Amino acid sequence: MSRVQRITSANGRLKNLMNQTDNRICADCGAPDPKWASANIGVFICLKCSGVHRSLGARISKVLSVQLDEWPDEDIDAMIEVGGNSSANAIYEAYIPEGYSKPGPDSTHDERSRFIRSKYELEEFLKSSLRITSRKSSASIQSSFSTKILDSFRIKSSKEPETVVEYIGLLKVKVVKGINLAIRDMMTSDPYVVLTLGKQTIQTAVIKSNLNPVWNEELMLSVPQNFGPVKLQVYDYDTFSADDIMGEAEIDIQPLITSAMAYGDPEMFSNMQIGKWLKSEDNALIEDSVVNIIDGKVKQQVSIKLQNVECGEIYLQLEWLPLDQ
Amino acid sequence: MGILFTKLFSSLLGNKEARILVLGLDNAGKTTILYRLQMGEVVSTIPTIGFNVETVQYNNIKFQVWDLGGQTSIRPYWRCYFPNTQAIIYVVDSSDTDRLVIAKEEFHAILEEEELRGAVVLIFANKQDLPGALDAAAVTEGLELHKLKSRQWAIFKTSAIKGEGLFEGLDWLSNTLKSGSG
Repeated sequence: MSRVQRITSANGRLKNLMNQTDNRICADCGAPDPKWASANIGVFICLKCSGVHRSLGARISKVLSVQLDEWPDEDIDAMIEVGGNSSANAIYEAYIPEGYSKPGPDSTHDERSRFIRSKYELEEFLKSSLRITSRKSSASIQSSFSTKILDSFRIKSSKEPETVVEYIGLLKVKVVKGINLAIRDMMTSDPYVVLTLGKQTIQTAVIKSNLNPVWNEELMLSVPQNFGPVKLQVYDYDTFSADDIMGEAEIDIQPLITSAMAYGDPEMFSNMQIGKWLKSEDNALIEDSVVNIIDGKVKQQVSIKLQNVECGEIYLQLEWLPLDQ
Repeated sequence: MGILFTKLFSSLLGNKEARILVLGLDNAGKTTILYRLQMGEVVSTIPTIGFNVETVQYNNIKFQVWDLGGQTSIRPYWRCYFPNTQAIIYVVDSSDTDRLVIAKEEFHAILEEEELRGAVVLIFANKQDLPGALDAAAVTEGLELHKLKSRQWAIFKTSAIKGEGLFEGLDWLSNTLKSGSG
């Protein structure tokens, strides 16, 4: 392949990633249309935030312009592996204190700088066991080591301070589509999906005037040791008033995680069924939901009938990514 | 005669002028250096798309300092600024060891340009305040400065943030320019 072709296809991969909805706002301040990126962290950021990232030094954040720089292949691969702003923030902001106000697009340089340093240089919002241990004291290495031992025995430590949340894995939720959703405006609705797990809340894009929206959007949640069900809510976006609820449902992620843990490394197995979440009177399933190993990944298709609403179905695909290897 | 007289007169009064280009890869610290020299302060910068130009008066020389953006696709435009340049300040991020090879390639490509044949070269091994920064000897080796023939050059360890090394570099530059033909 010629050099020009290679550059074009590499840039194509990067532009595709940049066009993903979560990457259309700056990962740090939310400014629209970011054109810069930190290649080693894996986030798309705006020009102003890129200035702060550069001041951290290239070893902490390697800043490149999507448009003005020629990207080495390995940097593009690294960006794609992280998967964009939502995935990166699910880690770097996993543990952000409740009520903490992130900087906005109009924040001053100092406000931006303080937040970005806390987030990436000091890693203040990262869960403790994901903290990079190499440049910290041996005490933190010890603590992450003992966390691993605890994990392997599945013992819940009651001595752990309440504020320290240990995560056991990441849940990737692909919100595929909605069918026959409820009408909340004159003739139609502007639906979006909100997922909540513990204190984390993430949402899809709003799809205008559509009762059968197709999102195909991947959202990421960090799963703590004491996880409950994922709460799914569908809302109608309203510009001038509070958004209206269009139904909700609870997704039990226990079958997915338990079967994934029972099998260990899914890459050791060929495609097969490993578990099932059964439809019952007490849950919102439309049909039994099967957990499969597909190409070395643990996945589950879920079809949900929305509750507390006149009508509406939501189709999801879950994927489990354990954190312990 | 008129021109010669003016030149002599202004050099007696010490009103020498020099056109300087500050070059280097993106995020080497060029803009921070420019404003540290000009205002004596650390400014918070964003990536330079295009250029900044400021006048810095030092040691009786009026330096017109051009700071050009360092992103890959901007670098080809550096050459538009080459004519009538007396000196290049080449800035290297000494902590970015991964890209030292690229910094070296860009450096030698610039110096092959005919229009810069007479320019003296001052290298700033910048960001000495960051952990893991290479010292002047390592940057000299990385940039392969021994390959420079018939060119006056010098390298200084600098930290634009702390303000270290910059004026030592300008001292060398002003002495070299005063003693030379420029």
